[in-house]
Amino acid sequence: MNILIPDMWLREFLKTDAKPSDIARCLSLCGPSIERVHGKGNTTVYDIEITGNRPDAMSVSGIARESVAILPRFGFKAQFINDPYILKPIFPNIPDTLPLFLKTDPTLNPRWTSVVFDGVKVGPSDKKIQKYLELSGLRTISNVVDITNYLMHAYGQPAHVFDYDKISGHTMTLRASKKGEILTTLDGKKHTLPGGDIVIEDKTGTLIDLCGIMGGENSSVTNNSKRVILFLQTYNPVSIRRTSMALAQRTEAATLFEKGLDTELVLPVFSIGMRMMGSAAGGRVAGPVTDIYPERKKTRTVVVSKNKILAYIGPIKDTDITTPLESLGFTVRMREERVEVRVPSWRDDVAIDVDIIEEIARIYGYHTIQSALPASAPPNTPIDPMLMWEENIKIRLRDWGYTELLTYSMIAQNEGSAYKILNPLSSDWVYMRTSLKQSVLPVVHENLKNTKDLKVFELSHVYVHKHNDLPKETLHLIVVWSGNRFLEAKGLAEALFDLFGIKYNLPDFGTLEVSSDITVLYLDFAKMVELAQPRKAYTPIPKYPPAIEDLSFEVTGDFRIGPLMDTVKTLHPLIYRVTFLDAYQNFRTIRIEYLDTTKNLSDDVIRKVRQKILDAVREKFSVTLKNV
Amino acid sequence: MIENVSSANLISLLIEYEQITREEIRTSTEPSEMIKLKVLGSKSKLSELTRALSKLPKEDRSRVGLVVNQVKTSIESELSKKNTEPVQSRNTFDPTMPGIRPPVGHLHIVSQAIMEITRIFERIGFIRVRHPEVDWDWYAFESLNMPLHHPARDEWETFFIKSQVPNSKSQKNTKHAKFDKMVLTPHTSNGQVREMEKRKLPIRMINIAKCYRRQIDVSHTPMFHQFEGLYVDKNVSIAHLKGVMDFFFTHFYGPGRISRIRPFHFQFTEPSFEIDVSCGACAGGGCRLCKDGWLELGGAGMVHPNVLKAGGIDPEIYSGFAFGWGIERTYMMKSGTSLDDVRLLYSNDVRFLEQF
Repeated sequence: MNILIPDMWLREFLKTDAKPSDIARCLSLCGPSIERVHGKGNTTVYDIEITGNRPDAMSVSGIARESVAILPRFGFKAQFINDPYILKPIFPNIPDTLPLFLKTDPTLNPRWTSVVFDGVKVGPSDKKIQKYLELSGLRTISNVVDITNYLMHAYGQPAHVFDYDKISGHTMTLRASKKGEILTTLDGKKHTLPGGDIVIEDKTGTLIDLCGIMGGENSSVTNNSKRVILFLQTYNPVSIRRTSMALAQRTEAATLFEKGLDTELVLPVFSIGMRMMGSAAGGRVAGPVTDIYPERKKTRTVVVSKNKILAYIGPIKDTDITTPLESLGFTVRMREERVEVRVPSWRDDVAIDVDIIEEIARIYGYHTIQSALPASAPPNTPIDPMLMWEENIKIRLRDWGYTELLTYSMIAQNEGSAYKILNPLSSDWVYMRTSLKQSVLPVVHENLKNTKDLKVFELSHVYVHKHNDLPKETLHLIVVWSGNRFLEAKGLAEALFDLFGIKYNLPDFGTLEVSSDITVLYLDFAKMVELAQPRKAYTPIPKYPPAIEDLSFEVTGDFRIGPLMDTVKTLHPLIYRVTFLDAYQNFRTIRIEYLDTTKNLSDDVIRKVRQKILDAVREKFSVTLKNV
Repeated sequence: MIENVSSANLISLLIEYEQITREEIRTSTEPSEMIKLKVLGSKSKLSELTRALSKLPKEDRSRVGLVVNQVKTSIESELSKKNTEPVQSRNTFDPTMPGIRPPVGHLHIVSQAIMEITRIFERIGFIRVRHPEVDWDWYAFESLNMPLHHPARDEWETFFIKSQVPNSKSQKNTKHAKFDKMVLTPHTSNGQVREMEKRKLPIRMINIAKCYRRQIDVSHTPMFHQFEGLYVDKNVSIAHLKGVMDFFFTHFYGPGRISRIRPFHFQFTEPSFEIDVSCGACAGGGCRLCKDGWLELGGAGMVHPNVLKAGGIDPEIYSGFAFGWGIERTYMMKSGTSLDDVRLLYSNDVRFLEQF
C-alpha cells in the first residue's frame, strides 16, 4: 500500500542532514520504496510504497525508524526522535464522573484502551495539523476527528472517538456479530453483517461500532458533541479482514488492523492522544483510563546460523550483522556459530532465520552484493517435445507467409462442458474455450472488414473437460484463409503431416472446412506431436537417372485424380514417383518417374510398364491417354 | 527481286549475307527483337533469297536448301548469343521493379519475446517448461505460503473456476483432498512447487505460460504471459540471483541499461526483491513513463523455506531463488515500441500484427 508522508512531519521524528532526494534514493534501495517526491520545501511529500508485511512502517514514525537504520550506511547522520515506545505513560487517578460500563472479548480484542473527556469544544484543527493531514491526502474534519487521523498516520495505530451521550446506558459490549445484524457506518452506508464480525453494542443492544473498520453513524462525534470517548484498540486481524472484504468496506484502519498491529504500541499512542484532546480540543479527563490487556505480548527470539548468513549474503563483518539489526530495534547476541536475535514487539513479520537474513542483507545493501552466475553444473533436463514442436511450427508458418494471432482463452458461450469462471470480468469472457474456433473466427471476420487477403493462424491451448479434475490443456492449431483456398489448405496440411512424419490422414487429426468467405484448417496439434515420427531414414541416392515421362489423360464428369495416382504408384516396382502436374479443361497430366536402382532402363522395359499403367487406368477409371 | 540466279550464285549470296548479318548483329545496339525482325523477318534479305530457291532447277533445290538452313541457324545462334548478353533495354528489363520476395508472415510479439527469452536462459542451463494455466488454489497460493484469506492474496485479482468436484463433502475425491478449488493462475509461480514435485535436483527452470488477472486498462489485460525462473541447489546466494538477472538484462536489453534490486515482500520468497530497469526513454533522468528514471520490471527473491517444504525439499540442505515477470511488460520496456496501450497486443488486428 502507498502512503504519503510530508517531509516536515517526518523530520519531527528524524534528525538528519540528508536532503529529501537523498532520503528517497537511500530508502528505495534498502527499505520502503519511495516512488515519487512531490512538491518542495515545506510542502515536500514522499509517496511511499510499503509492503503488506510491514504495518509497523506504515506511519511517519515507522519511516523515521527505517531511515535511522538506512541513512548512516550512505554516510548521513540520522537520529530517531520522539520514539513513542520510549514513553512509559502513567495516568493520574481521576474520579469517575462520567462512568462507562465495558465488556470485551480478548480473543477478538487483545487490548482495549479508552477514556472519557468532558468539556470538549469541537471546531477546526490548528493550521499545522490541517497542513500535515492535507499533505498526507487525508481530509480534515474537526479538531477531535483530526486527532484520530493524526495518530493513525503518525504512529500507524488507528484511533476512534465516540459521542459519550449517544451511547445508550453508557454501556459498550464488544462481541462477535450475529448473521443479519444491521449497522450504519458513519459514511451513511447501511450494512447487513455476515456474522462473526467484531462489533460493539450499547445497553439496548443497538450496534454502535463496526470495530476496526468504521464507527457507527449513531455514535459519531459531531459539531455539538461535548463529551467524547477516546478509544484505541487492537483486534483479531483475520476477523477484521473477513468483515472488511465481505462488506467491501476498505478503510485505512481496516488495512492496518488486518495486518496485525502491535499491542505494545496502543498505550503510548493513547497517551499522546489524551494530551492532544486536552491541548487541541479543550477536553478534561472525566474518569480513569481503562486499559484491558489480559495477555501481554511475548517477546520472540530467532536464532540464525552464521554460515547461512554468509551463504546468502557472502563474506560480511560481524558489525554488518549487529549494526543494522540494532538500529532497527532488534537485540543481538553474537555466538560462535550463530546469532541470537530478540525481535521487537512491532516486528511480527520476523519469525524465522531467513527473515533476519533479509533485515541484515537489505540494510547491508543488495546493491553492494557482487553478482555471480551459479558455478554448479547445469541440470540434465531434456527438451519438452511439445514446446520444441510448437516453436518449430510457428516459425515455419511465419516463413510460409502466415501471421500469428493470439486471442484470449476465455469465451462468451459454453459449447459443451467448458470450465466456467465464477467471477468473470465481462460477459465476453466467461468460459475457458474448448476450441480455438470460438475465439479465432470472430477475430477473422473482424479483420475481413479491412482486408481481402488473409492468412492467419493460432497455435494455443484449449481446455478439455476432465472428470473431477483440472482440464486437459492441449495445443490445437487453427489456420484460416480468406476465400476458398481448399488446395492451399490441403497442401499446408500435407506439408505438416510430412514434417511430423505422419501419413496424411486428416480425419484422424482435424478438419478442413470451406465456407462462403473463409477456409479453415483445424488440427489436434498435441496429438500430432505425440504420434510424430520425424526421424528420417537414409536411402541411397540412385546411381542411374530416372526416366521421366508425362502422361495426359482425357477424363470425364466428376473424375477424381487421387485414387488414380494411388493406383499408379503401386502398380509396378519400377514406378519410382508419381506427381500431379496439371489440370486443364478435361485433361489431367501426371508425371511418372521410372527408376531401376541397378541399371539404365531400356525403352523396351519402360514401354511395358507404361502399357500396364494405361491398361490399369482404362479398366479402373475409364480414362484414356490424350490424343496427340 | 532476284531473277534468273544460278545455284552457285545463290549459295555465294547466302554466305555473303551470313557474314554481313552476323557482323551487323554483333555491332548493333538495337533491341534484339528489332534485329531479329530485320535479319530473319519476311521482309529480310534472307527471306528474299529463300524465295529465290523456288526459281532453281528442281534437282538443285534440296542442296541449296541445306545451305539456306545452315545460314539461318548460324544467324539464329548469333542472335541468341546476343540475347544472353546483358541488355540495357527498358522494354525488356527494369531493375527498379520490386523484386520477387519470399512469403512474409509474422509471429505475435509475445511469441517473439518468448523465443528470445527462452534462448537467453537456455544458454545458462535454464530449460523451458510449462505448467498448468488452470490450477489448484494449492499450487497458485497455499503451497506458496499464502493460506486462504491471507491479505497477500489481494495482490492478485484472481479468477476462480467453478468447482468440478461434487458439492457433497462426503463425496470429495480423496486424491484431491487439498485440491478442491480451481483458479486461473494469476502468476507462473504455481510452477514452483510443481517443478519441485518432479523430484529432480538441482532445478533450473523457466516456466512460461499464460496468466490471468481480473483487470483491464491501458497497462493490463485479463490474459497475459509470465516467465518464471526457479533455481534450487545447495548454497544458493543472493549473488547468484543477481548474476542470473544481470546475464538476462545484458542479453535482452543490451548494454547501457542498468538494473537495480530493491527490498520488497512476497509471501513465497525471503528475502524478496523488486527488480527495476533504468528507463530507456529518459536514460534515467525521470519522465512520464517511469518512476524517477526506473521502471519496475517484477519480483524476485530467495525461495521461502515453507515453499521448499511444500515441494518436499529440505530447506536446511537446499535453498534457491525465483523470479517471475510479465512477458508483455518486459518486452515493451525493451523496445521502446512506443506502444501506449497493452490491449493492442490482443486486438488481433492484422494491421497491427504485421508491423512486427
